[in-house]
Amino acid sequence: MIIVGKFVYEPNEYETEKASNSYLMSVVAILAGLPMPIFNLVATLGFWAANRKSPYFVRWHCNQALLSQFSLLIMNGAGFWWTMTILFGSATITNYYLAYIATILLYNLGEFIVTVFSASKTRKGIHVQWWFYGTLTNLITSEKDKKPGYLKYGHYHGNAPSLNSTQNSESI
Amino acid sequence: MRKIIFQGLVVVLLFFATWLLLSQVNWVRVLRIKQMTQTTEEKLGELLWEIFRKSDKVMEDADVVQPLDSLLARICDGNGFDKDLLQLHVLKRDEVNAFALPNRTVVIYSGLIAACDNESELAGVIAHELAHIQLNHVMKKLIKEVGLSVIISATTGNTGADVMRELARVLSSSAYDRGLEREADRTALRYLEKAEIDPEGLATFLFKLSQEEPSVMKNLAWISTHPDTEERARNLMQKIDEMDLEPRPVLKPETWERLQAALSER
Repeated sequence: MIIVGKFVYEPNEYETEKASNSYLMSVVAILAGLPMPIFNLVATLGFWAANRKSPYFVRWHCNQALLSQFSLLIMNGAGFWWTMTILFGSATITNYYLAYIATILLYNLGEFIVTVFSASKTRKGIHVQWWFYGTLTNLITSEKDKKPGYLKYGHYHGNAPSLNSTQNSESI
Repeated sequence: MRKIIFQGLVVVLLFFATWLLLSQVNWVRVLRIKQMTQTTEEKLGELLWEIFRKSDKVMEDADVVQPLDSLLARICDGNGFDKDLLQLHVLKRDEVNAFALPNRTVVIYSGLIAACDNESELAGVIAHELAHIQLNHVMKKLIKEVGLSVIISATTGNTGADVMRELARVLSSSAYDRGLEREADRTALRYLEKAEIDPEGLATFLFKLSQEEPSVMKNLAWISTHPDTEERARNLMQKIDEMDLEPRPVLKPETWERLQAALSER
């Protein structure tokens, strides 16, 4: 479930582009992460390191992408090691194994679709909040500097943003 | 916070529910995994047999082949196995060894047949190797020793001769797990009982070889690849004592003598 709405402030072009790019990076990580979950980990750490000082809108969306990547890392990592024990150990191919691979394929596909959707919406400045991940992102994204990038540099004269990141939202 | 915990639990439960739901599908059958596995085993077995066939002379004399065929036929008839799906080859080599290949093939060295004092000992060894085949121990052993990736590469022709020789060595000269050995022993006893062949032969053969002098052990490969022989022989004897048996001979005494003579002559 996805909630689409307005962010607490109107992000500028630079912020929407950067936030959208974080989802595009996430798409690449999903494509590479299913066979090699290390890419999910690299993407996760990359997002965190690159955007921890970015404007709130960018940080918020990077964190949402990061959290979803972290879930995939766990799922894909388990699938990867299970496959390794079959290829190089004594485990055999069972219905449970094949069902697990089908499940993580479904989750990766779902995440891929939602990520592409989020990238396109975010690029237009529309705030996209995913079920669970969005709520978690609200919790972990620091509220200090909860203001647009241009305000940080002294060019903003709007109202201070409220605690809720989503305004005038609708669910999809 | 409670909302996040609730949503997180729903996400986790949804994941496991999807997994559980998809597990209800018989993917192994849908994706024909067993057929693919069988094809791999057939191919691998053929490639390995080529190596053994080239390294030692295949004994094809009627005096050697027919008695073994009779023993195999009795075990198959008694246990409802399709004999046509099984192969038994005798190779001329002094080593006391027998092993199974992945394509339902049993290979016996002439040295092992010569070391048998009677048909029940030889039938015991055949039944034991058949048990390894029926219980899929051969592939389990190979996967454990070299890994599935190497096996798949070998069957698709992407490996060198060294890898195939290593696979051949693993099958003919390395030991099975103790657990697998005991399982094969128990199964072999059941096969022999159903085939109305004296199962004591397997126990006596194991016990006899375990008592050999260390100097002759180098030729007793079947002992080194089948560990804990003395203890296993005792376990087998205990189980045999509890059985109600009415064994019938398979070979005539003169057929057995001709078999032994054929081995020493050629």
